[in-house]
Amino acid sequence: MNIRNKRWGWLSATLLIIIIGIVAAACGGSDSSSADTAAADTAAADTAAVETAAAAPEKKIVMGFLSNCEGPFGPFWDATLAGYYTALVQFAGATPVDPADPKAGVTGAMVPGTEIPIEINTDYGCSDDKADKALSEAKRLVEQEGVNILIGPLSGDEGIAVANYAKTQPDVTFLNGISGAQDTTLKVQAPNFFRFFTDGAQWTAGLGAYAYNVLGWRTAVTIGDDYSFPYTQTAGFVSEFCSLGGKVTDRIWPALGETDYSSYIAKLPNDVDGFFLDVGGTGTVQFVNQYTEVNGNDSLQGKVMGGAFISNPAIIKELGSKVEGVVAGSALPSDATDANWTTYVDAITAAFPDQAGNAANIFLAGYYNNTQAAILGLGAVGGNIDDAAAFQSAIAGVEISTGVGPVTVDGNRNAVGANYVVQVSDKGATTLFTVPDVDQSFGGAFSADTPNPDRDNPKCVAGNPPPWAASITK
Amino acid sequence: MISARLHWLIGIGIVIVAAVLPFVFSNFTTSQILTRALILGLAAASLIFLASLGGWVSLAQLGLYGVAGFTVGNLVQADGGAKVFAMDIWLASLLALVVTVLVGLLIGVIASRSEGIYFLMITLAFGVIIKLLFEKATDLSGFGGINQIIQPAVLGSAQLDPERIYWVCLAICVLVYLGIRYFAHTPFGLAFQGIRDNTPRMRALGYNVTLIRTVAFGIAAFIAGLAGVLNVWWNTQISPGTIDIGPVIFLLMIAIIGGLYRIEGAWVGALIYVILDNRLRSVDLVGERVATALGIVFLLIVLLSPGGVMGIYKSLASRWRRSRSESGAARDGDGTAAPTVAGD
Amino acid sequence: MSQIETSAAEGVAPILRLRGVGRRFGGVHAVRGVDMDVRAGERRAVLGPNGAGKTTLFNVIAGEFPPTEGSVELFGVDVTNKPARARVPLGVTRTFQISRLFAGMTVADNLYVSIIGAEGGHLRSFRTAQDRAFHGQAREIGDRVGLGAVLDEVVGTLSHGEQRQLEIGMALAGGPKLMMLDEPAAGLARAERVKLTEMLLGFDRSITIILIEHDMDVALTVAEHVTMMHDGRIVAEGTPTEIRGNQLVHDLYLGKGHGNDE
Repeated sequence: MNIRNKRWGWLSATLLIIIIGIVAAACGGSDSSSADTAAADTAAADTAAVETAAAAPEKKIVMGFLSNCEGPFGPFWDATLAGYYTALVQFAGATPVDPADPKAGVTGAMVPGTEIPIEINTDYGCSDDKADKALSEAKRLVEQEGVNILIGPLSGDEGIAVANYAKTQPDVTFLNGISGAQDTTLKVQAPNFFRFFTDGAQWTAGLGAYAYNVLGWRTAVTIGDDYSFPYTQTAGFVSEFCSLGGKVTDRIWPALGETDYSSYIAKLPNDVDGFFLDVGGTGTVQFVNQYTEVNGNDSLQGKVMGGAFISNPAIIKELGSKVEGVVAGSALPSDATDANWTTYVDAITAAFPDQAGNAANIFLAGYYNNTQAAILGLGAVGGNIDDAAAFQSAIAGVEISTGVGPVTVDGNRNAVGANYVVQVSDKGATTLFTVPDVDQSFGGAFSADTPNPDRDNPKCVAGNPPPWAASITK
Repeated sequence: MISARLHWLIGIGIVIVAAVLPFVFSNFTTSQILTRALILGLAAASLIFLASLGGWVSLAQLGLYGVAGFTVGNLVQADGGAKVFAMDIWLASLLALVVTVLVGLLIGVIASRSEGIYFLMITLAFGVIIKLLFEKATDLSGFGGINQIIQPAVLGSAQLDPERIYWVCLAICVLVYLGIRYFAHTPFGLAFQGIRDNTPRMRALGYNVTLIRTVAFGIAAFIAGLAGVLNVWWNTQISPGTIDIGPVIFLLMIAIIGGLYRIEGAWVGALIYVILDNRLRSVDLVGERVATALGIVFLLIVLLSPGGVMGIYKSLASRWRRSRSESGAARDGDGTAAPTVAGD
Repeated sequence: MSQIETSAAEGVAPILRLRGVGRRFGGVHAVRGVDMDVRAGERRAVLGPNGAGKTTLFNVIAGEFPPTEGSVELFGVDVTNKPARARVPLGVTRTFQISRLFAGMTVADNLYVSIIGAEGGHLRSFRTAQDRAFHGQAREIGDRVGLGAVLDEVVGTLSHGEQRQLEIGMALAGGPKLMMLDEPAAGLARAERVKLTEMLLGFDRSITIILIEHDMDVALTVAEHVTMMHDGRIVAEGTPTEIRGNQLVHDLYLGKGHGNDE
């Protein structure tokens, strides 16, 4: 036996006390604060009861925010906050504390048409693109901070985890931030989880029909980063293109962050009509440069379509004429001047002038849409959320006004709204046409029983084109 | 002798206090702070087990934890899992442990021939391979992770009865802790420590060094697997992000904060980490820089004491003892001597 | 007296038989063409200047690595390509020139691990009644090599002399029939060397001892048969007296300064 190890005794005790002290200090604080909240709650309710006698709501409205402040999407933290608070300023009459800094928050948010305050929880949920973290942050906000309306999260896996968690918290209402996985609403179907922004597949609606009907493509190859978001985006294109009779001859999934595509390019058939390209970051630039190096500078002109990544002005600028005429799907227009868009941009400018440039940023728009839906839902029930189910069915019925026009949700509580097909030129992206009323199912191609989008799914099957396909013609 | 007995009493006291904590704290604290700390502590214990007894710092432990979690998720009927087996959760958990130990033995065979930085790199590679495997094989990891993994019925509802899973975790942690302490004094445990201290001597004494190391790695995999199974029981969800490189580093930080050479340090480190992680996010100043803030706390602790919190405790202990009895201190280490697992 | 015993043992088959043993390390031929027979109960010293190949020869006999040529036979069994762990059960133990101890464990545990090494059951992760006996045995051996007072100390805190004693204790703990000591006196003070010599002389004749030693007083007092190596080969053999009188030995070795080998 080791003598040194025997002298545990007293100091174990000290350590134990210190640890318990830490736990008590850390957790006890919040416990007592929630007790205070409860007390205040009761007090407020009492006062309210005295004042308005009858149907005064018991439950205080506490709104929480969950986004990514770290990880790959960390840079969009401010944009998501700006979307969240712009909606509160525009629809709940709040005032920004500091127009230059969304994170400083707002004051005076109230349920529309009432004097009932919306308490904004400023212990923001800070995730890092990991489902675990988003989940533990959602639990913290709901169970520790007492949030009963949660706006978030940001990314796909996070959305699925939080939607599943929503099922265990029926009294809390969850509205997605900007996470785009189909499953979140299509499969999980939590009755208290809403998404007032289209999913990743919906963002490519119109592309397949454009390729088949207008450009006359009959065969296509897809190239996308090997993870869930490009799977989903590609699924939208493949489903629509194939439904009309097109053939996807190959699907190429380079590892995320790949920079050398030469081995993939070597395998590509030369006679394919076009490419659906959905690689993020510099991947698109690398791919196009390497392809045109082999096949000639104009070899891709008119042959490229893309998802959310490709209409990035920096990428277009870098590639110039090589991708002339590239057509991309987009949830937001970048050159719109109609009343919807102007109203939306003006709202951002009024609240946070510095963020106006982010109007076409889906991160901002997603949080804006969903926060707005929550506020309108609150207005519809007069700020009374005692009956969570009634509040939730009110939300399901609201029609929000967004930069792309009105958006409603379907039976899975997923957005039905417009999508854009844009064309890129040296002057930037211009909208070719709008695809109205895009729903999540693509006319039935996606349902709770279809396999998740992945490397091989959806299968390329002809028939049952989505409702909008027929109207997209030369 | 008195001191050793006192040590036992205090250990029992800690467990009793820990057992009644759910009555003191809210459901949220019980679940998100205490249970989470126990599970992360258990995962860290598998790392410290290898570090303290074997002198190996492994970065594959969280990967093994993930193997266990994903195996459970695929064997039971869960959203995103393989769904074809739809096994009983207990059977699935048992099989998950078996699979994890087999994977651990496989890694052990390869890694057991290396030491130091090479061992670190090999285990890191395995950790990354496991993560990538689950990320790419969406048949095994679902589209957005595996969700809605059923809990054993006896645990009740995660929301309403968080104390049940907490007690299960506490009991398993206590058993693992005692088991490791006991193991350290068995022939196998001593042989593993002997290899840490002097591999050529162990060969000369007739030991099969590779075999011992491999099996010891398998034991560590078992501990990591237990933590992985408890994690999916508790969280009912797992995704490739759970075992990404960030969490791997955080697990290493937990072990180092607690003290790499003390098994109990695993839970001390985990508790500190979980509390910091929870509280730091509520502090406006660091709200967006949690990882940075955690990193600074980590640096402070490591600079203050290379042996982590348990090292601080240990040097306080020896200082206290020295002041208590001036004689007989000649042979005492000052707390920075060779790594050793506490004897009882 | 030693002469008589050696010759008495001559008829018996040797417990160690080396034939043409050589070992190369890349281009270096550390040991070559060594033939050696050691009989039961013998006290054999292997001498030679730095780089003579003594420790390499030890490593080949102990199974640290196999010879690149020749054969090694222990107790009548050909073990040429067998690892150390196949030789320990035959009763072969060794010490190291630079102490190789388990610094993080206690003296008693060091000895206990040495006993288990020879006894087997290396993956046993539970304690049995027998372990109590082994622990007793470990403490007894500790006493025997003069470490009775520090049995429960962590080895990292021992003095150099105590560590050298423990080296021998660990070789003894395996219950050896053949014990190979690699410079047991290295770094010891004069008084400690005297004690060491006494201890070595006191070992039971059932233990055969092969000794590498730079200290002539220790080596020539303990050994009754001396093998002289130079440049990887055996250059002289004989009794201590013969070796003392050998001119070649003088030129090669005795006349030069001592130092740490290899």
